[in-house]
Amino acid sequence: MTSEVVNAPRRQSRRGASFRDAGPPVALIVVFLVFAALSPQFRSLDNVANIVDAAAVLAVVTCGITFVLMMGSIDLSAAGVMGASALTVSLLVANNRNDNDFGLLGIAVAVLLGCAFGCLSGLALVLLKVPSFMATLGMSAVGLGVATLMFAGVQPNISDTMVKGLAIERFLGLSYLTWIAAGCVLVGWLVQRYTRLGRYAFAIGGAEEVLALSGVKVKPYKVAVFTLAGAFYGLAGVMVTSQLGAGLVQAGDGYDFSAITAAVVGGTLLTGGRGGIGHSAVGVLLVMVLTNGLVQVGVSPYWQGGVEGLIVVAAVAAAVIPQRRRNQVVK
Amino acid sequence: MNIVLRPAAVIMSLSLAAAVLSGCSEQAAGGNDTAAGGEAACEPSAVRLVGQVRNESNPYEASWLAGGDAFAKSVGLTQERLTYDGDSTKQQEQISQILAGDTKCLVMNVLPNGDSDTAPIVKGADQAGAYLVTQWNKPADLKPADYKTWLSHITYNGVESGQQIGDALATAIGGSGGIIALQGVLDTAAAKDRFAGLQKSLEKNTGVKLLDQQAANFSRAEALTVTKTLLTKHGDKVKGIWAANDDMALGALEALQQAGLAGKVAVVGIDAVPDAVTAVKNGTMTATVSSDGSWQGGVGLAIGFCAATGKLKVEEIAKDNRAFFAEQFLITKDNAGEFAAPKTNPADFECGNVFNRVAGPLT
Repeated sequence: MTSEVVNAPRRQSRRGASFRDAGPPVALIVVFLVFAALSPQFRSLDNVANIVDAAAVLAVVTCGITFVLMMGSIDLSAAGVMGASALTVSLLVANNRNDNDFGLLGIAVAVLLGCAFGCLSGLALVLLKVPSFMATLGMSAVGLGVATLMFAGVQPNISDTMVKGLAIERFLGLSYLTWIAAGCVLVGWLVQRYTRLGRYAFAIGGAEEVLALSGVKVKPYKVAVFTLAGAFYGLAGVMVTSQLGAGLVQAGDGYDFSAITAAVVGGTLLTGGRGGIGHSAVGVLLVMVLTNGLVQVGVSPYWQGGVEGLIVVAAVAAAVIPQRRRNQVVK
Repeated sequence: MNIVLRPAAVIMSLSLAAAVLSGCSEQAAGGNDTAAGGEAACEPSAVRLVGQVRNESNPYEASWLAGGDAFAKSVGLTQERLTYDGDSTKQQEQISQILAGDTKCLVMNVLPNGDSDTAPIVKGADQAGAYLVTQWNKPADLKPADYKTWLSHITYNGVESGQQIGDALATAIGGSGGIIALQGVLDTAAAKDRFAGLQKSLEKNTGVKLLDQQAANFSRAEALTVTKTLLTKHGDKVKGIWAANDDMALGALEALQQAGLAGKVAVVGIDAVPDAVTAVKNGTMTATVSSDGSWQGGVGLAIGFCAATGKLKVEEIAKDNRAFFAEQFLITKDNAGEFAAPKTNPADFECGNVFNRVAGPLT
């Protein structure tokens, strides 16, 4: 009896998988074509490269957040972790504040710091039972606090040519940062597809109780997912620093919600158990095409915010049309 | 159920009433203090100096607090540094905590988060008899001259600074060519005034054409993305970039570097953050405007200190000095060296000189 109830919807959803997942990519293509028709500059190769370059940081943050969302939790720590990591890396590579010049090691430390923050969020969730919303929001504040302490009134500007070069040097027409982001998406996809961590993240989001009852210890996996997400935020902080040439406390400003938006637009549900890295990557591109396209076609800045919001809501609505008949409760 | 609840309700309403009563009596007591505090001069060593800004994580507000420290040190005191992270509620809480203590010789130099945050701060300080100087934000109809201890409101003429850098940009590109403008948060007075200044400058410099204007919300990261997009949109028609603050100007500089256009496009900003001043000095940036944050941090406390110690009579402060536009400085390559390190001049903070930088009354 029970197994029937569980099985029925699952089989149904698997059958509809390809149709349901087509929503966001179709929306991406439609939005792209509309802008391309309206603006010759938009469809230029330069601008396409520009869009992909601009998407790099958001893509990395979204990779991290996607794992957390798949698990049915939420993560608002990106802004703080990125700020802390940005300050850390800018003070460890060659800069105008001190004599450090650790190069790659500095980047590694910043990423590890991100891991540590993520791990703490995860531990607060599983050990102290703080809801992920609050745990990560708190961790964001801690990150910003740490960043402000390191900032100490003087902005660290980086002079490390390697770190600065990541944003400036190009390979096949795209900046190195973009290739790093592409690498992150690939790694994220492999983790999601082929590792126990990725599979369990899905399963925890789908039905945590069932997983726990079948003898899986979910807690370590939850902590691991938050740690992985933290690593992505740490890397994103490094990337922003490379782009701006300076360590900013505000390096991650707004990325937490942009990343959640991108993930949801791409079809990763906030309720967990659905979506994934591929979806989120499409979502990131959709958001970036939108912001770029509105400037290129010359929508007045006074209108842009509102227009962008409307299109995002419309895109999400279009993407979930196939799911509407599933009688799903939307909160 | 009801029987259990009733005593609780009685206790709660009693304590509520008590709280309200004590609140009233506190206010009344504060009111009496005003009269005393306004007349009897404080010992210089008894003055308590408080500087409050949004956060210490940007160079401008950090230099503000440093200026406050410098002034406090010059009179043998220390400044209490308060930051409220751009959170209006937190700012009000901090103010009420400060005002709940001894307010007789209290001097506050405050950066209100927004226009609407000024009124409660002024009201609180007035009731407690604390000397207050506010900067940047206040609603037009709220005037320091109507209050006894709200000594002065200092702000800067955004139209003027927007125009100054607009003119500098026009000169830098040789009087003709296309420019793009990066606006701040569109619904702030600073963004509106500065952009109005650019438009005034454009009327004068007819050869300069505004190709595009976009909001980058005063943010370096957003300016980077927006500038890259605008550069692909307008290509080499862009000869200059006008940014409503330096953070955006610096973001635009990074975008130019990434597009391989560094040094080919003139960039101007406002605020004179240290990095921008360095960039002006190096010639990568054309101009910026300084409000002199460390002066702002020092002079607000100095005005209050002079009033508290009786060296400055509140009634004798000229009406135009109660709310004024302060002098601001256009920084170009010629004078960038002087502004490279934020520093204060102790002479600016002497009681006779605190109003030396009044550029005009705030209307």
